[in-house]
Amino acid sequence: MSSITFLCSKSSSNNINKDANAKGKSATPSSVFAAAGLLTPTPTAISIPATETLQQQQPQQQSQSQLHLQLHTPSKKVKAAVKSNGHSHIDDRSDATEPIFIDATSMGSELNCCPASPTTVPAKSAFESPMRRSGRRQRTTSIGNQTTTANPCEGIIRSNNRTIYTAGRPPWYNCAGQQVEPFVIGICGGSASGKTTVAEKIIESLDVPWVTLLSMDCFYKILNEKQHELALINEYNFDHPDAFDIDLLIDVLTKLKEGRKVEVPVYNFVTHGRESQTKTMYGANVIIFEGILTFHSPEVLKLLDMKIFVDTDPDIRLARRLKRDISQRGRDLKGVLKQYLNMVKPSYANYIAPTMAHADIIVPRGGENTVAIALIVQHVHTQLQLRGFKLRETLANSYKDQPMPDSLHLLHPTPQIKGLHTFIRCKNTSRDEFIFYSKRLIRLVIEYALSLFPFKSTCVETPQGVLYEGKRMESRKICGVSILRAGETMEQAVCDVCKDIRIGKILIQTNLKTGEPELYYLRLPKDIKDFKVILMDATVATGAAAMMAIRVLLDHDVPEENIILASLLMAEIGVHSIAYAFPKVKIVTSALDPEINSKFYVIPGIGNFGDRYFGTEPSDEY
Amino acid sequence: MCTGGSPSSNGSQAEESSENDNQQEQRSSTEQEPEQIQSTAIVSCTPEEVLADYGENIKLLTLNSQVAELLTIIRDKNTTRSDFKFYADRLIRLVIEESLNQLPYTDCDVETPTGAIYEGLKYRSGNCGVSIIRSGEAMEQGLRDCCRSIRIGKILVESDANTHEARVVYARFPDDIGSRQVLLMYPIMSTGNTVLKAVNVLREHGVPEKCIILSNLFCTPAAARTVVTAFPKMKILTSELHPVAPNHFGQKYFGTD
Repeated sequence: MSSITFLCSKSSSNNINKDANAKGKSATPSSVFAAAGLLTPTPTAISIPATETLQQQQPQQQSQSQLHLQLHTPSKKVKAAVKSNGHSHIDDRSDATEPIFIDATSMGSELNCCPASPTTVPAKSAFESPMRRSGRRQRTTSIGNQTTTANPCEGIIRSNNRTIYTAGRPPWYNCAGQQVEPFVIGICGGSASGKTTVAEKIIESLDVPWVTLLSMDCFYKILNEKQHELALINEYNFDHPDAFDIDLLIDVLTKLKEGRKVEVPVYNFVTHGRESQTKTMYGANVIIFEGILTFHSPEVLKLLDMKIFVDTDPDIRLARRLKRDISQRGRDLKGVLKQYLNMVKPSYANYIAPTMAHADIIVPRGGENTVAIALIVQHVHTQLQLRGFKLRETLANSYKDQPMPDSLHLLHPTPQIKGLHTFIRCKNTSRDEFIFYSKRLIRLVIEYALSLFPFKSTCVETPQGVLYEGKRMESRKICGVSILRAGETMEQAVCDVCKDIRIGKILIQTNLKTGEPELYYLRLPKDIKDFKVILMDATVATGAAAMMAIRVLLDHDVPEENIILASLLMAEIGVHSIAYAFPKVKIVTSALDPEINSKFYVIPGIGNFGDRYFGTEPSDEY
Repeated sequence: MCTGGSPSSNGSQAEESSENDNQQEQRSSTEQEPEQIQSTAIVSCTPEEVLADYGENIKLLTLNSQVAELLTIIRDKNTTRSDFKFYADRLIRLVIEESLNQLPYTDCDVETPTGAIYEGLKYRSGNCGVSIIRSGEAMEQGLRDCCRSIRIGKILVESDANTHEARVVYARFPDDIGSRQVLLMYPIMSTGNTVLKAVNVLREHGVPEKCIILSNLFCTPAAARTVVTAFPKMKILTSELHPVAPNHFGQKYFGTD
């Protein structure tokens, strides 16, 4: 049980975020201990009725609000990692477990427990991962929960009536729309040396909003029956390079480095196979890859921009391992020692310690070494700045006095369109009228955008008995994707013109501190690559948000030529930027304004379209 | 307002059948110009040709692929009624939006929330819609969607069963219609006779010819010529000039076929 959850926690970065938040908010010591690999908390937040302890509950039968507990034996002391978000796990690894789950929230947040080597997983009863247990549909979503902030207070900005969370993903491409390579940090070290702690300390101090943590544990090979039996009697060598699927690992890491979406396998240490469900991960600004044999493969080494070796004294590592395996996993001293002496220690000497030569920096004592971590963070910051993650300003200052690109399709400027613009641009227009007239304008924009999709000639029979040469759209697979919030105002119009259209959503917000757009939330149809996409945003100023959205679509394998960006109003600069970065994306707008101001508002513009439409405008915005 | 090609019909077969089919309807006005009809039977008109042939007061909706698809779906006899209404409504909305472009306006500068000035324009108030019962009423919703509180008058024109002559049976307008711009809605014109009668009624109520805008979806060249000849100052907006009018429109839209 715990191994699965721990695996998930290592393979996803979302826990780090939650954990960081948890530390900031309520500073539950248990979560800190859990993260530090020293899991000894008591379940202060849970009280377990004695009757429940003997009751085997099927996860599927439990309501989502029910608490999930896994108990060892009623007599034994319950170990739990209590997460401050109300989600609790009693963590144990024993052959004689009586599983009960305590799960206060429906969210499938995973236990963030010690990064033990999976050699120590003899538990027989198979449990589903928490994600599955919650019964939630697997979906093409990411973002919000993959972000991480060191300090939750900094992640939230409150101004007037607005609450803005600034923990989204900042641009991961340069102003030409090209992917900027993420910075990949490899962390290697012996079992229980504190690799995960180091990784988390780096993430915390780094304060970069988009970090992906990938664990080598996800890439264990699927065991056959014989190996499975060996594993049960502690005789399968999980510390040997052959235990890992290196090819898959290289594939995943390469894709992550290209900023693409990857499906990371979820390894089940009970069945020693891969879960049918995979974990979706996205490329990030910083990717941290940790594992005992990180530096073993030369190909993997090539992908790493920075190599850190965590060198903890073998005595301490053994002590940690004994403590962890015996007190938390209910294993006996003999078994642990046997495994350590026969496999863990020789493997360390043969395969892990020699790779220390590849390391750029060796961190003694692991996570406690604040000086080393500070140095690492400083280096990463410098590297990130060199790679240029500053987008909006660059965009605003380029492309002056250039002719408009061919990919721009401006609606014919009829008096009616100008009249509609007069209504919605006037600052004195009431919201009722603003909504009505902008809806009319949106409808025209969408109708026009549809005409840009490929059509084929067709011949139909008419009731008058005459053949009629007409046109039909080549593909009816059209998907609308709105950029929240202002883009949502255009969804209704898309639904009005296309029957049964699918709607995806992307939430991009501007970080008020940096002025950069950040990606928070993403939900798209699963097979979006087969669709023609109408990307909707009400206004485009610098084009930074639209570019991010286009980049997201491209990362989901939507061909560039299948994307139409529809907007009510664009600034010339934005059009230039987008057209330069993505020349095949068709840009549709009803009006083009010449300038943007220092706050990236279009001049003369509409103002903040979303605020005006939804009625959330602050009293003194400009 | 002209982009894209126009759907061309496939030569002689369509040509012949269309002539046969429409002979009865076109008899009144087009027999004197058989050459003209044949040429338009092959290719429905492009905006330039329309301007050249019929004067500048008749305008065609920009024929982009999207509009062509709408026309195709509406004409297809295999289209379900639900689809038919859905796509007809879309086309109506486009035609109405375009018709509103014909209304007079004045320049108007407004201040935007950013403090800058936008040089816009303003439409004069005092417009009204008039629909010709029954198929014209299909366009009322489209007009309502664009102008929420517009006044709408109605005219019922029926053709006499024996003489085929159109006559006005019923008309109800706002009192001050004479001082308003009138948007006359009638989706299908095959001979133009109905519209002639309706415009005459409007004129009797004091509406100047130049203040009438005719919103139309499908128009035959014959009807266009008839109407333009009779009322040269009236503005006409249509989405297609094609010798075969989809006469099933009203029946299929209202489901009475």
